[in-house]
Amino acid sequence: MTGADLLLEALEEEGVDLIFGYPGGANLPIYQRLPDHPKLKHILVRHEQGAAHMADGYARACGRPGVVFATSGPGALNLVTGLCTAYMDSVPMIAITGQVNSTQVGRDAFQESDVIGATSSVTKHSYLVTDIAQLPRVIHEAFHIATTGRPGPVLIDICKDVQMAEAERTPRAPMSIPGYHLNGHVELASAKIAAEALAHAARPVILAGHGVLLSHAEQALLDVAEKAGVPVGTTLLGIGGFPVNHPLSLHMTGFMGTGWCLKAVQNADVLMMVGMRVDDRVTARLADFAPKVTTFIHVDIDGSEMGKNVRPHIELVADARNALEAMLPHIDSVDEGRSAWLTQIDAWREEHPLRYTHSNGHLQPQDVLIDMYKRCRNEAVVVADVGQNQIWAALWWNYDRPGLFINSGGAGTMGFALPAAIGAKFARPELDVWCVAGEGGFVMTAQELSVAVEHQLDIKIVLLNNFSLGMVRQFQDDFYGGVRSQVDLTHIPDFVKLADAYGLPGVRVDKLADVGPAMDAAERTKGPFLIDFRIDPQANVYPIVPLGKSLNDFWEAPQQ
Amino acid sequence: MIDRPLPPGSPRYHDAGAPKEPVPTSPHGGEERVRVLSVLVEDGSSTLTKVAGMIRRRGFHVRAITVGPSGESGRSRMTLQIDAGHAEVDQVRKQLERLVEVVEIEDLTEHDVHSRELVVARVAASAVPELVAKGARVLELGSVSTTIEFAGEGDEVGAFVEELRRHGNLDVVRSGPVVMRRSA
Repeated sequence: MTGADLLLEALEEEGVDLIFGYPGGANLPIYQRLPDHPKLKHILVRHEQGAAHMADGYARACGRPGVVFATSGPGALNLVTGLCTAYMDSVPMIAITGQVNSTQVGRDAFQESDVIGATSSVTKHSYLVTDIAQLPRVIHEAFHIATTGRPGPVLIDICKDVQMAEAERTPRAPMSIPGYHLNGHVELASAKIAAEALAHAARPVILAGHGVLLSHAEQALLDVAEKAGVPVGTTLLGIGGFPVNHPLSLHMTGFMGTGWCLKAVQNADVLMMVGMRVDDRVTARLADFAPKVTTFIHVDIDGSEMGKNVRPHIELVADARNALEAMLPHIDSVDEGRSAWLTQIDAWREEHPLRYTHSNGHLQPQDVLIDMYKRCRNEAVVVADVGQNQIWAALWWNYDRPGLFINSGGAGTMGFALPAAIGAKFARPELDVWCVAGEGGFVMTAQELSVAVEHQLDIKIVLLNNFSLGMVRQFQDDFYGGVRSQVDLTHIPDFVKLADAYGLPGVRVDKLADVGPAMDAAERTKGPFLIDFRIDPQANVYPIVPLGKSLNDFWEAPQQ
Repeated sequence: MIDRPLPPGSPRYHDAGAPKEPVPTSPHGGEERVRVLSVLVEDGSSTLTKVAGMIRRRGFHVRAITVGPSGESGRSRMTLQIDAGHAEVDQVRKQLERLVEVVEIEDLTEHDVHSRELVVARVAASAVPELVAKGARVLELGSVSTTIEFAGEGDEVGAFVEELRRHGNLDVVRSGPVVMRRSA
């Protein structure tokens, strides 16, 4: 059998059901053999970046690794942004790229590029396959590495002559990757000390990141929080990890987090950070982050996160769920001062509510999202793009149980939402999928509408259109001397006509009274549906911590 | 980075017996910024670029890097001297550990080690007796110049290179160090 067959068989063995890809010169032998492997459904994308984001959305929605095919040179390089997006947010993905013949590598052959070199900083691992004897071993290794420990994308670059070479199927050897170590084991003594530190703290706070969702630690987190009486905030990527209407919820932390969460973090004495990187968007000015904390507890499966930004006093290099479950039995008597702390947080919640301008004659994005979230009924998948739309969608998230809020957090990749929503819908066809995007990001990958139409995917696209790069405009207004520079997007398509051209229905809404009927139509319609909401061009994201300031210095929306 | 001391009386992590290697400190106080690491890696076409790429993108700086075959087939031994740059010093080792190509790391910073470097130099014939007296070995006697070698600890090699400069050496090449922990 050929190298292509060995690859495709290995994918079947790994339980792959879906591949997002694009054929070209250097992966044609794989595509030639693909029809003989009907278990592998292939989705033809319209641009390789779309394939990577679809695989990413697929993986975030169902937990299985997304699989991408691309050809050499430009095909593979078009994946880079998507790989980076997945890498920054620890999403399992397998990218299989065609490479020129092994004998031509290094001769600047047609569509040759150094894909390993170009992607090694945005992949967890990568392989160049120049010999059929490496197959199918590297495929199975790649799946193991992508999906275990801290997940991430793994790229396999397969030379075209290897795809065509013939070899006998050999029995699968036991896997041996001596340089790959997993940190699944929880140091029980540390878990006990962490549990006691949390329970006996006067003003404890837990912050939860993407690791909570990746390790399915939502229930364990709730159990620990309730038993120890500790309020919980989430990072942007941790949204969905803790019920946001729970009395202990602080909602979102970070430089665009809620006022009551930031107050809690800045006044905490014990801060436990679970499954998160503690990056600059979470800490704002690092020197002033959580200044009253005397004991930092950090739980993360990646040991290199310990002390990268904040040196923990108690560290648990472990799977978040295992760590939280190990802590639970050691939470006994809770500090007496706890009710005063929770009362204080309730007061901050009253003092610093989320609010927005209602009555200036423009449609407000928050009104659109509040309507959308009512229809989500705690279970729809919400995929957001990057920018103001993302933060509004995060702040108005209202689930009172764990849920899926998918967005590009670490990389902040505009154009992520539509293809990721397509991937999420393929992964979870039983769930409603809402795609929230600004018009700026949407046009970056809008060609993937064809995929949604071709497969008649029920995706409801909520376009928050303010005819400008809203987040950049807000930053320019507030932090860059009010100089509006290159943010005007007057010249964008008529999105209703664009939808029509792609073959999906679309409507335009510019006043509050029309929001409900348009949403009704989106829900009634089978297949994709686009709503072009013409929102207040001055609408801003609040709260926000000015660049370079501490979390204490957050600005709130003006009072009505 | 935030590195806040524990207040007196607070729960102490180290008392739990959890393994935590103390970070060695330099005689000047503070942590030694330049880490000496002996790294066993899998041979492969991308191993060196992956190690080098990681060092660059994390903001570390290479002081010296030496690569050669290890005792095990299919694996090489790298000796790295890496300045942690603006990062925390333990990040150098931790980021290396994340590379799948890296099999084993030994941090030799401030351990008792044998650290050997080699210098090969072309010198004027007149300088040879003095250099040989300092421990150099003659590799090739030429009519115009002589090629010598000298091996030693890093500072010995540094002193020898200074000596060569005094003699107006014609050409000199210097290896990076190879380092091994002392047995006793």
